[in-house]
Order: sequence, then C-alpha cells, then structure tokens
Amino acid sequence: MEFKDYYATLGVDKTATADEIKKAYRKLARKYHPDVSKEADAAERMSAINEANTVLSDPEKRAAYDALGRRPPGQEFRPPPDWDAGFEFSGGEFGAGEEEFSDFFANLFGRGARARRGPHEASIRGGDHHAKVMIDLADSYHGARRAVTLRSARLDAAGHVVTDERVLEVTIPKGVRAGQHIRLRGQGAAGLGGGSAGDLYLEIEFRADERYQIDGRDVTQRVSVAPWEAALGAAIEVPTPSGPVQVTVPAGSRNGRKLRLRGRGIPGEPPGDLYLELELVLPPASTEAARELYRTMEREMKFNPRTERGR
Amino acid sequence: MIERTVELLVDEGGLSIEELASACAVTCEWIERHVQGGLLEIDRSVGMRFTSVQLLRARRLADIERTFDANDELAALVVDLIEEVERLRGRR
Repeated sequence: MEFKDYYATLGVDKTATADEIKKAYRKLARKYHPDVSKEADAAERMSAINEANTVLSDPEKRAAYDALGRRPPGQEFRPPPDWDAGFEFSGGEFGAGEEEFSDFFANLFGRGARARRGPHEASIRGGDHHAKVMIDLADSYHGARRAVTLRSARLDAAGHVVTDERVLEVTIPKGVRAGQHIRLRGQGAAGLGGGSAGDLYLEIEFRADERYQIDGRDVTQRVSVAPWEAALGAAIEVPTPSGPVQVTVPAGSRNGRKLRLRGRGIPGEPPGDLYLELELVLPPASTEAARELYRTMEREMKFNPRTERGR
Repeated sequence: MIERTVELLVDEGGLSIEELASACAVTCEWIERHVQGGLLEIDRSVGMRFTSVQLLRARRLADIERTFDANDELAALVVDLIEEVERLRGRR
C-alpha cells in the first residue's frame, strides 16, 4: 500500500497544534465539501481530508501514526509487525465515511486492527454504505436494469487489506426521480462477530443532458424551431423521452415559449408534465440565395427588435 | 460475476427512525432531537416514516455538524442553503 502523508494532506506542519489542525481541516472542508465545491475531484479530496483529520485530530492515532516516521507520499509501504504496540485506541469513533478511506488507513486503524485486539467483541451490525448511481432520463421513463460496480476493502486471512470489486445488477424502477434512494439489503459493510451486514443505499442522479431540465416529475425540453414555424405556426414532430410526439406550434410564438404536454413528464401517480421550450434557430446566411432572402426581409419588414422589445 | 439483489425504493415503504439513524451513522436520539426541533420532517404520507428527502437531508445535517462542529440550527441553515442552491442550479 502507499504511504499517506496526512500532514501534507491538511497542509500543516508536523508540530501543528490541535487547534491548527482543526483550522486547516475546516478551511479545506469548506473548499472541497462535495455539496458546494465546483472542483471536479471534490469528493475524492474531501475523503482524503476526512481521513487525514480522523487520524491527526485523535491524539492516540496521531501518536501511533507519528511513530511510523515520515516517508515520501505514495511510497510503497508496509507497517512493521506490532507497529502499534504500546498505543491504546479507544475504537469505534470513526464517524461516517470511514469505508471510503484508503487501504493505508484501513490497514493501520481499520476494523482489522480492532478485531485482532478484541477476541470477545460483541456482534455488531455492519455499517450502511452509500453510493450514487447515474441514470439517463429515459431510464426513469421506461425503467431499466443497470450494473453498478462497487469497491470495498476487507481483510484477507493474513490480515492484509484487499480491495474487492463487485458488480450488482440493480433494477431502476419506472418513475424514479433524482434524489430518491434504492435500498439494497445486506449489501453494506459486513457485520462483526456474527452481526448482520449493513445496507447499501443508492442515490439516483440523472446524467447531465443539456436537452432536459428536470424539476421533480416535470421535465422541460428544448425544441428547436425555424423562424417561419414560430411565426406562422406549424405541426412538428418532437422526439421526447417517451417517444415521438406531434405538436402544434401556435402562430406568433416567441423564443422561449413553453408548450405544456400534460402527463408526459416522469411517470408516477400523478405523472409529471413535459414542457417544450421553443428555441428559435436562424438559418445560416451561408449562400448568396440565403443572404438575399435576409436582405429582402430587411427591406420589406422594417423590423427593429430594439424598438419592438424596448431593449 | 454480477450479483442479483433485493431492492426497495426507500420512498415506497419509508424508513423507520432506527433505519434512518443507521443510514446516517447517528443515534435515534439525534433524529428525535432534529425532528422535535423542526429541522427534519417526518413524512406523514408514508405512515410517520422517513423518505429519500429526509435521508439526504439528515445525512447532510450530520455531515455538516460533524465536519464543522456546527450546532443543529447552524447546520440546518447551511443545508437549507445547499438545497436552495441545488434548486437554482436546476433552473436555466
């Protein structure tokens, strides 16, 4: 496993006081908190920051970690036998998210260390795990089965941490919305001492698609229309998540006008609505004939959009 | 190898207070305190149980409290703002 320099992760000196560590942790937590951060790797950074803070903010773990000495981050590392002899860990106070910590952490402070120490440990239910599953809007309209790949750490017979990868086939129910959770019983962390396994919660998130904006069960879809279709009215065919739909564009439609198709949003009781937002697209003036048509409009229509719209 | 699983949509049956506490790595007392303080709501439509909305909110509350040593009300204010930012980002 790779050595982790927790001091470097938090950007503090090895002699940092508890207050300095707390201050550095909170500053980084504000920057990389996945709910607010726009950094692409916010979730990974936050996990690393949490891991470093879990060790350095606990005097027992920090003392044991310091005893390992300092090495370059990323260097291949294996703790010596009985590396933690002489250190007492209170145990148990690991907080949420421990399952996302590195193999390095798990090997030093993880369940294995505690299990080896406590042969008479009571049966404990495994922790619940959380993960996000990205789906397309069409999956919610029709339902789907998706293979979800999950990684988790466990100890092998020799007490080493090994990473398991498992693939779960999950049913995405028709009508599911962003933010809803699918619960997979017994797919969380394994229990200890004969305790039952925890559950796995999968949070649904829609894959970004610039065509759609989703609000609960209501869906807004952008539809491109030609200027003459908007001005004169037209019957057009629109590909929607539930299939192609014939729509009448009313004459005199402006850019951004929304047409409501009742009940064609995400299925449910009641189903959501689908809003088609008209987006006027100008034909390119790429040929002489096209440019002449624009010049004719300019001459004949006497149209000044700044005067018409007051801006 | 692909494992087949037994799945439940949380919102169909809702979560009990014990299940919500376990999913958020908090105690039942923590949940009760936040419900009594009006910071977390029980969904009465699923028989006094908790749905995905409360699961996500409770996890965020617990995370903010843990990360910043924030008190209940301050964490709730931050989570309110996160939810508002999400709503606004969902608009174009």
